[in-house]
Amino acid sequence: MYDVVDFILNTQLGLNSPDWVVMLISHLIVVAILFAIAPVQVLFLTYYERRAIARMQDRVGPNRVGYEGLLQPIADGVKMFTKEDIVPVSADQRVHLLAPIVTAAPVMYMFAVLPWGPNMIAVDLPTGLLFFFAISSISTVGLLMAGWASNNKFALLGAMRAVAQVVSYEIPALLSLLFAVMLTGSMSLMAIVEAQSGLFISTTDVPNIPDLGLGWFVFTPVGFLAFVCFFIAALAEGERTPFDIPEADSEIVAGYMTEYSGMKFALFYLAQYILNFLLCAITATIFFGGWQGPGIAWLVSQSLSADNPAGNPVYNVLAGMLGTFYLLAKTYAFFFVMVALRGAFPRLRIDQLMNFGWKFLIPLTMINILSAALWIAITRWGTAQGFGIIEFAGEPSNLVRWLIAFAVTLVINVAAYWFLARLNIQDHVARQAALAAGGLAVSPPRSA
Amino acid sequence: MSNDTLTHSLTFTEAPAALTVVVDPTPQIARGSAVVVERRRPKAAGWSLLQGLGVVVDHWRKSFRKLDDTTQIAGTFTTEYPEERLPLPEAYRNMPILLFDDATGHELCTSCFQCQRICPPQVIHMTQAKDPDTGKPVPAVSEFIIEYDACMSCGFCAEVCPFDAIKMDHNFELSTADHSSLTVHKTDLLRPISYYQSIAPTFWAEAEASAYKKLETNKKRRPATIGIAPQMLAQLKAAHELRDDQQEATMPTTAVASAPAPATSSAAPPARSAALAASASDLPTDKAARLAAIRARNEAKAAVQAAPATASAAPAASDGGDLPTDKAARLAAIRARNEAKKAAEQAAAAEAAPTLATPDMPPTDVQPAASEQAAPPAPTVPDASLDEKAARLAAIRARNEAKKADEQTAAAGAAPTLATPDVPPTDVPPATSEQAAPPAPAVPDAPLDEKAARLAAIRARNAAKKAAQAEGE
Repeated sequence: MYDVVDFILNTQLGLNSPDWVVMLISHLIVVAILFAIAPVQVLFLTYYERRAIARMQDRVGPNRVGYEGLLQPIADGVKMFTKEDIVPVSADQRVHLLAPIVTAAPVMYMFAVLPWGPNMIAVDLPTGLLFFFAISSISTVGLLMAGWASNNKFALLGAMRAVAQVVSYEIPALLSLLFAVMLTGSMSLMAIVEAQSGLFISTTDVPNIPDLGLGWFVFTPVGFLAFVCFFIAALAEGERTPFDIPEADSEIVAGYMTEYSGMKFALFYLAQYILNFLLCAITATIFFGGWQGPGIAWLVSQSLSADNPAGNPVYNVLAGMLGTFYLLAKTYAFFFVMVALRGAFPRLRIDQLMNFGWKFLIPLTMINILSAALWIAITRWGTAQGFGIIEFAGEPSNLVRWLIAFAVTLVINVAAYWFLARLNIQDHVARQAALAAGGLAVSPPRSA
Repeated sequence: MSNDTLTHSLTFTEAPAALTVVVDPTPQIARGSAVVVERRRPKAAGWSLLQGLGVVVDHWRKSFRKLDDTTQIAGTFTTEYPEERLPLPEAYRNMPILLFDDATGHELCTSCFQCQRICPPQVIHMTQAKDPDTGKPVPAVSEFIIEYDACMSCGFCAEVCPFDAIKMDHNFELSTADHSSLTVHKTDLLRPISYYQSIAPTFWAEAEASAYKKLETNKKRRPATIGIAPQMLAQLKAAHELRDDQQEATMPTTAVASAPAPATSSAAPPARSAALAASASDLPTDKAARLAAIRARNEAKAAVQAAPATASAAPAASDGGDLPTDKAARLAAIRARNEAKKAAEQAAAAEAAPTLATPDMPPTDVQPAASEQAAPPAPTVPDASLDEKAARLAAIRARNEAKKADEQTAAAGAAPTLATPDVPPTDVPPATSEQAAPPAPAVPDAPLDEKAARLAAIRARNAAKKAAQAEGE
């Protein structure tokens, strides 16, 4: 956006605006676009989810308002706006009011570091990934505020569950993403996306591979395992089924949202769906190349930039459009998976959730970090880094290094998965047996 | 590796005594049509999760096709209600309705109070009709109310009704913002038999014969228009007016001074009458007869209207001799009808007379007679001239009679208003309908018909006598 604004203001109009003016204008435009996009995304996602889950359950879904029900979210919005705002008498009035704001505001910040296309990012923070997950954690404070201020036992239970769940699953989420930071050497989401060019093999590993924008991390064993772990953790963070424990309607009414109605409720809803959208988008960005895809590289090479002053700005726009299309397509695909998971699986119990998170996901992601380290060593290191063993048969080519890394990490990851799964199944069976025998609902000491 | 995990877990679950999941090696259970699902053994931890996901996605994929039979598992089977509707089974019941005969407009209800008695929530209320002359109860209902809001749709009323007068409707779209509209009165409860026949053909076929039979006996005990569905009365009246209209247009030579035709009739444009005549040219002949009868009746009615004013006077009747004038007119009407019937019988399915215009709404009280006459299946012997002549003759004769009577009584001053259909002592419509008795399109039953005519004549005489007595007082 900076390039485009600079081109229009200084090159075309000849205004010779100072750098900060261009920066300010471009950022304002981007912020305006993002704040317009977020609610529209929520509107679309609610419709999308309802239609998709209906199809999975052999129903039709909302199709009354507008063509095929496309205006249904607008009708829902009108309903939300016109509802009475009820605050319980015994509730903490100020905190009750603040809680939805504290929940909804941070997720809007998360848009700031999401790359939509080549050079299409609001703020390319060097610590974008960290910012993304740090700011999302603030939402949890809002949830606890809501639960506590409502002065309702279900709300408090829900809030407690939410905090326990989100705190537990942020660890595997971040641990699984560490591999990308290690591989690219950057926490900037833009850098992570740019590292995923290539053709099933990233150009960072094999530089001379043709660039079709398909060098996604998910095509490596390291990336794939990280993707599975991260997506599960993302489900828990977004409070999606099967991890919708904080708002389990069959157990605790609506969790922390129990005492909310009208627009305050709608804000929680909004925050949740924006978070889900962003989690899908970040999954697409880190594992599936974000805006990368066939054709992007060529459009970027034709476009106007500091390196290529002879480029045509039309290609900037085209590259941005295609990149946004790829990102949104991937995001919606992941949201579809989320919906399918909701259609397929029942809700977990809180202890199952904790067991799964702490005993399975976290060890698995830690082993994955080991795999990532090995991947880097095998693909990039040599004698100079103290990894001379790779040159046992002379200097290997990049492709051979990549193949060796693929095989090694595949073995490690599959073995880790199998081992951890086995341990957990044994543990589960032992606990069931203990329960059936009338024992306490605690894990018996496991004999190896 | 996964098999290892599985076997391990299996052995573990079977080991403790508490978990006595005893699996019979050969379970001999008669399965019938039960579906036995063969579950594949999980390949790896998490594999069954993917399988479950696969089922859901498979359903999603197949849901874009509409399910056409029940053996299919995946697919959409939604009926999108306001646009698509499943056919309701005949035995479906929602709210009770009352039936009336399409042809004569007679309600089947005789106010026997059976339904009112049996109704568990007691939402049925009715008032029995009374003869305005004698004050005696008549087998008809004057008001019938069902409170739909409290009705529980049990259908007891329909089951208990000996006259098949109350039936259960199929209309379930009763939602309203107006609560009071759910207290439904007779006019809104009444539906033609043809409607019930359309929603429950086999049920009506079972009840039809006895229902009509009972209706016939009851009709004979209903004086004047009592027991005729109000909506049909309105139709009937409209049909009459239209007929009078046409009558004037098509036969301008006839004196119409005494005819109770509306004011607009005299201004009827010739173009319209011509059009009507043209349209009538391709209508069956029985209409000619019907028209003649109607005309005769109208004349008679006019005469009757004039008659009471003359009080005890006016003995100078034409061929009636000592009969009062209205009686003479009635007699003429009957004679005219008989003439017409004979003519119609002679040329049942002949081509219609071009001069006779017929409205599309048949007069309900005469139609059975006409249909009866029209019953013999089209012998294709067009004797139009004969038929036409006979009909016209009958009409003219009747009219002349009536005119004569009218002339005699004209000096007596204004006739009492008999506009309202439920008040007048005109016995003619019931008489005709009675005469027209079996609505079942049977072969014309001449002796019965004759008897009915005689009965009508006698009754008419009695009524006239009664009227004369009343006048005398």
